[in-house]
Amino acid sequence: MRDRRPAFPVGLYGMLLFALCWLVLPVVFAPLEGVLVGAGTLVVRAAAVLAGTPVEAAVAATPAERGLVVDLAARLQAHAVPASADWTNGTAPVHCAVIALGRRGAREAIGGGGEPCEILLDHTYAELVGCRTLVTKGNVLVGWLQRPGSGIAADDTLDDFARVMLVNHPQAPALHAELHEPAATPLRLVVRAAKVADPASLRVDLWHDPWRASRLDRAGLPVFTRAAIGEQSTPAGLLLGTTRIWGYAADRDGEPFTLGVFVLPTVSARALSHVVLWRGAAIDPALAGARPAAAARTLVPSRAVLHDLPGATHGRHLLVTTATPMAGAAAVADGRLLGLVRPLAFGSALMTTFAASRQRWSLVLLPDAAAEPPLELQAEVVADDGDAVRLRVLAHIVTEVDGARQVRIGAGWLFTGTNGLACPSGLRIGRCEPDPVDPRFLLVSVPRVRGPLAVDVLASAEAR
Amino acid sequence: MKRWLLWFLLAPQTFLLAGLWHDVGLPAFEIGALACLHLALFAERRSVPWLLLGLAMGRALVDDASLPIHLLVLGIPVAVLLPLRTVLPGAWLPLQVAVALLYAVAIPKLSLLLGVVFAQPTAAGRLDGGVVAWSAVLVPALLVGLRRLPPWAAFEEVR
Repeated sequence: MRDRRPAFPVGLYGMLLFALCWLVLPVVFAPLEGVLVGAGTLVVRAAAVLAGTPVEAAVAATPAERGLVVDLAARLQAHAVPASADWTNGTAPVHCAVIALGRRGAREAIGGGGEPCEILLDHTYAELVGCRTLVTKGNVLVGWLQRPGSGIAADDTLDDFARVMLVNHPQAPALHAELHEPAATPLRLVVRAAKVADPASLRVDLWHDPWRASRLDRAGLPVFTRAAIGEQSTPAGLLLGTTRIWGYAADRDGEPFTLGVFVLPTVSARALSHVVLWRGAAIDPALAGARPAAAARTLVPSRAVLHDLPGATHGRHLLVTTATPMAGAAAVADGRLLGLVRPLAFGSALMTTFAASRQRWSLVLLPDAAAEPPLELQAEVVADDGDAVRLRVLAHIVTEVDGARQVRIGAGWLFTGTNGLACPSGLRIGRCEPDPVDPRFLLVSVPRVRGPLAVDVLASAEAR
Repeated sequence: MKRWLLWFLLAPQTFLLAGLWHDVGLPAFEIGALACLHLALFAERRSVPWLLLGLAMGRALVDDASLPIHLLVLGIPVAVLLPLRTVLPGAWLPLQVAVALLYAVAIPKLSLLLGVVFAQPTAAGRLDGGVVAWSAVLVPALLVGLRRLPPWAAFEEVR
């Protein structure tokens, strides 16, 4: 007999509509997802009981590998402050990690050039009492520490993570700067945040010598701050970026014609893991009475057992946890990052290994050459083949300009940068070599993870 | 009730078994295409939304994207074909091969697209010609056996 029911599958379309609502409001439906997918793991958990006793020795780090973390921290701190600058006299550096990009509602706060324009640090405002507003990275001006309760930090309190307004923020002050041309006196100018649609984060607003500016015929010239006095005083000599010129190149008969000059910052917020604040003697009255600076965030690890999911050879694992981890928490074994965790219900969680991930990572490369500074970069895994992972470098940070914006990425060890509260900087990933065919790519040796394995899942003490 | 319990217990494991199939050296194929083909051509029409949920739970076990992404990745191909079920000869093998081929291309592409749109990048977005070809061969063949096994058999549409 022919099926006479209506062909239009209302129920199915309703389910798809529900899925779209779910995607729009992920926080609301997160517990439901935890229960549903957690229930899906119950059979595997039952089978995991037969898998044997978890081992730790399989991923034990060598003493040399453990020493890398100390080396990384020392070199990060050594290169995070300018070699010599008068304005640092009487102040002490406070090293902070970046924990997240600032958000406005559900989206990242976007400023000039379509780039993020706010970052959050791993210290609260109260912990940064006595610090200048200036935030730097090596010899680069990164932005300004905000005051809770005012400006873009109007909704923040003293105990919130400190917010930094980057130089490309629409509300950032215009900067008095100078452009360094070879064999010429510096050209003075005023720089301010560009528009979101502009090709770079900063644009030149005013020139001291417009005629000379109109004849600029080469890009990539460094732009440094000049001393400015005011609420957000800026010392001289801090690097803002390098120039990008929009206009017409010189032809055979004519001269170059510059339409606009932009400044391309050498620091990308997406790649930034560490910044430096400067604590002086004077204390901001708004912060007076706040508790003194504490150490950086402490992450409390919770024990978990990692099991292989049957057939999931592509880097998915089941974690049996004693405490519910945070979403995006790092699973670690002896200082080595294994992957990021997605919490589920019933004491289960799923872990995706670094090799199987396709998200964008904030990373730090510790070069083999001891004199070279650690390189902070943003990259994504594009392919994994056995124990080798191919990474595409999306952005990296340059703190010194010596004529060339690009730095040569050499061999070294790869560590996490800051990828959220529960995936801190300094977790070892693996040995890293530049791709001999294409320098935009890195090849990283990441040993495969095999369960059952006892691991630590990191979680922020504050988040608990 | 019993068939639903079995479905939500066993259907998600299908995705893990497909990985196991590949691990033992057998040719990889798109298990999503198998699941979608069953839903689109043979499953009880009124049960399809909930059957889809069970399968999306399974795909969430092996892929990093969130559950609603998997609902869409598996659900959209089914939603395209399901209204045509009354006019399509579902048991006709060439049709099954053609649909399996289309699904094996559409599912990774949808994964990639939705991953980009909703900022949930996934490794399942890579299109592999070998997987597509083997899906066209294996999916109709495996579907014959699968339709006779619980819990899949319990949700066959009575025509």
